[in-house]
Amino acid sequence: MSNIGWKDVLADEMPDDLAHEIDIFEGQMELMGQGKLDEKVFAETRLRRGVYGQRYDNGQRHDGFESRELEFEELDRIKGPDTLWHAPGMMRIKVPGGGLTSEQMDVLAQVADEYSDGILHVTTRQDFQLHFVHIEDTPDLMRRLASVGITTREACGNSVRNVTCCHLAGVCQTEAFDATPYADAFAQFLLGHDDIQDFGRKFKPAFSGCEAEACGLVMMHDIGYLAQIKEVDGKPKRGFKVFVGGGLGTVPHQAKVLSEFTPEEEMLPEIQAVSRVFARLGEKRNRNRARIKFLVAKLGIEEFRRLVEEERKTLPHDDRWTAYLDTLPHYEEKPTRPPTFLNGQVQNSEFNQWLETNVYGQRQEGYSVVTVNLPLGDLTSQQTWELSDIARKYVGDNVRTTVEQNIVLRWVSDSDLPSVYEELRAIGLGDPGAGTIVDITACPGTDTCKLGIASSRGLAGELRTRLTAKSASLPDAIKDLKIKISGCFNSCGQHHVSDIGFFGNSRRSGNFKMPHFQVILGGKWRDNAGSYGLAVGAVPSKTVPEVVDTITSRYVEERTKGETFQEWIGRIGKKEARSIIQPFMKLPAFEQQPEFFSDWGDPRVFSLGDIGIGECAGEVVSLFSMEISPAESEAFEAQIALDEDDPARADALAYSSMLKAARALVRTQFLDVGDSPDRIVEEFKSRFFDTELFFDQYAKGKFGQYLLIRHRNPNPNPDNDSAHRLIEEALLFIEATHACESRVGGNVLVEI
Amino acid sequence: MIAPHRLSVKFFFEDLSIDAESFIPVFHRWIRENVVPNELLLDVADYKHVLDGPAIFLIGHEADYVVDFTDAKPGLMYVRKRDAGTDLADALDTTMSQALHGVKLTEDDVELKGKLKLRTDAAAIVLLDRLNYPNAANGDGADAAAAVQAQLSDNLAAIFGEDATVTRVANDAREPLTFKLSAPSAPDVDTILSQLGSAV
Ligand code: HEM
Ligand code: SF4
Repeated sequence: MSNIGWKDVLADEMPDDLAHEIDIFEGQMELMGQGKLDEKVFAETRLRRGVYGQRYDNGQRHDGFESRELEFEELDRIKGPDTLWHAPGMMRIKVPGGGLTSEQMDVLAQVADEYSDGILHVTTRQDFQLHFVHIEDTPDLMRRLASVGITTREACGNSVRNVTCCHLAGVCQTEAFDATPYADAFAQFLLGHDDIQDFGRKFKPAFSGCEAEACGLVMMHDIGYLAQIKEVDGKPKRGFKVFVGGGLGTVPHQAKVLSEFTPEEEMLPEIQAVSRVFARLGEKRNRNRARIKFLVAKLGIEEFRRLVEEERKTLPHDDRWTAYLDTLPHYEEKPTRPPTFLNGQVQNSEFNQWLETNVYGQRQEGYSVVTVNLPLGDLTSQQTWELSDIARKYVGDNVRTTVEQNIVLRWVSDSDLPSVYEELRAIGLGDPGAGTIVDITACPGTDTCKLGIASSRGLAGELRTRLTAKSASLPDAIKDLKIKISGCFNSCGQHHVSDIGFFGNSRRSGNFKMPHFQVILGGKWRDNAGSYGLAVGAVPSKTVPEVVDTITSRYVEERTKGETFQEWIGRIGKKEARSIIQPFMKLPAFEQQPEFFSDWGDPRVFSLGDIGIGECAGEVVSLFSMEISPAESEAFEAQIALDEDDPARADALAYSSMLKAARALVRTQFLDVGDSPDRIVEEFKSRFFDTELFFDQYAKGKFGQYLLIRHRNPNPNPDNDSAHRLIEEALLFIEATHACESRVGGNVLVEI
Repeated sequence: MIAPHRLSVKFFFEDLSIDAESFIPVFHRWIRENVVPNELLLDVADYKHVLDGPAIFLIGHEADYVVDFTDAKPGLMYVRKRDAGTDLADALDTTMSQALHGVKLTEDDVELKGKLKLRTDAAAIVLLDRLNYPNAANGDGADAAAAVQAQLSDNLAAIFGEDATVTRVANDAREPLTFKLSAPSAPDVDTILSQLGSAV
């Protein structure tokens, strides 16, 4: 039997830091398996690695008649509160700005067919998701992604989530400048940054190149950046208008302006200051009020801004704030082919239809962006590597995902468009209608989400089929309307910012529950998600196609010349809008229309029994618990290294685990300790050792000495015995760290 | 040879007079009635919107059953994900017999009966394990693939008839290692299953 694993095979291809983080996660999994990690700490740890729960992972499933227990093996083994170890889960894969290389696409396709179900799903924040993944496969899955520079770190949990950026950035007709390298720098700077480890809730950033278009959606994000050029001392200067505290969810908030103009060199220190203010003052206990939007609302934007400015002054300098700016002049995307023109060649009508909706003429003459319209954001593994071949041939690595769950190929030379179209069509990805009423966005909903109430994807699929069938006869006025669907009020499908939005809920009729969708009309996608729609009433799920027909027909009949859908809804008002859907709001009895009591694509009699506890908020665990857990994992890895007869590695890991533990302890008092071993040991000594805070009643300073001695006198040639001793010491040291934290923790003042 | 991470077998439909969607209620019922006693069935996943791909999944803990349209060849694919045994021969036994049980379940299902038929004279066998079984055109990987082919041929001829052949499919290197079974004189499912039963 072969003992070689992906870890060995890819050792030279993974960046060291990613490889090491994955090893630590694997160690934490092992400790969890042995019952040595707290379930909440482990849940938050895995979330911060992108390893999410999925529907039914509490081991219960309603089969349409009754709720049944799913009899997984080892039912007592869990991966978080009420979450069974063996139940399949979701893996979220971060794609900053949606940017993908062909090589990354190949690997994504491969991990999807080996660890998931061979389907890649593009999310509304430019991420990928794989479903039905077993937790034990996640370390190798992450390693294979790491080998092509992809990380899943902080894709979920209370952390800085994927940084989104316009998929047209750099080629757009209306942008101030290309926001891509800034979004990348932002993502790299904050990934795993100390100052984002103690957030009470998730934090979503977005970048946009211009104000009027929608692509970046900055107004609905926790922090949003709008590219601006300002004249400073007679010279154009790049910077951003910065928004804070936007967000969808049950009660959507429009972001507030944090700064009218933040010059480029201040972008990173400013977000660091924002992070510190949020970590310090943001709500930690009540998750429903823990997003930054609540903090901004509570303090008022002026006070929030003042605190951020104060914080900024106290930040220790960091070269990384501006280092990336030096590389900007060299930042460019390279097309694969020279610019060419279509030159009015006669094409068939299908091509022309696709050209009209799926092709955007770039600012750079002779080039276009092609949108690959993915049904429900899904593509198969096979389509993915076929698409990567098309990308290689025509555009190289200029591929991005979009927040409308599509993929774009940028820098297509115009005369290649007909062949690109034919090749996409041949792999089933040539659907026209990108960005139109048939290109419906939907969150995972009841398919896989633990919080789903109604089937957003089932409904989206149904509407897509029906609207596509009649798309040729649809009046122009409604062709470009946007439909977005969420499975519940949490609005992951972004229904607030669509013309016609829906979110799932339920109503009772007799003894039965009936899946419903709340209808939200007139939200605005343009102007970076400029305004939110009006909720006008809930209709049975099965009536939604007719509801869409009725609303759109009324709009076509009643609109005045040039009147947009938002303007029309604004003009007729909520009451009249409600009266349009009123006829659909009557609930038939079960005996009259039993089909109303099951959802789209799911014949089971509808119930709410499968709703579980969502993991959107992550677990509220202390910074110390999160930071001590990798130390434990490293000590564990050290033992494995020893078993494998590698004392040098065992020694290094044991030492490193002590440093991590000491650092976690120091950071309960002093956040800015940094990563240097000397500094960590020095701070540990002065704050905890010399003060005797660390001392054990019986052993006194003995455990603390273990670190001090190993730090002072590294062993140049560790052998098995010495490494074994050091591991024992490390374990005792880590224990003592826990004990010390629980003795003094909570009472110390955090200094910045 | 080590058992691959996942192993799948796909049998092709001879007649299929229903659309993919019709399998959704059937699979839900299979879960409810626990029709595969030695496997834990979990959920149904609907991907009928993707073209020429896996359309409807019956997701299980040990294995998935998939109504699959890849390469425009409709079939029922059984993907064994875990607990198939420690070596390739075991894994093949488990996967093949469970896959054939799946075929029988499908053909005999109260809602599907008479609306479809699966052929036993051909199948696609895929080793989803690029670590141990890379899809290499030459070198060690190709030697390993040849060894797999020999093993599959041996094991399958015993079940599908002496003239059964297994050939390696020359697909893209990124795709998993794939073999084609061709068995012109394969007996019907019941016969194969009863042989398998007596072999175990
Ligand atoms: C209380 C819990 C949750 C809240 C409040 C919430 C809220 C949101 C919101 C507002 C978005 C939209 C976009 C945005 O802000 O940029 C979003 C994105 C998303 N949510 Fe949730 N969500 C929750 C739980 C979940 C769960 C349990 C799932 C399913 C596993 C899920 C899946 C998604 C997906 C797929 C996206 C899009 C993408 C992404 O971040 O890559 N959400 N969530
Ligand atoms: S909107 Fe609701 S159903 Fe949809 S993914 Fe978010 S939490 Fe789940």
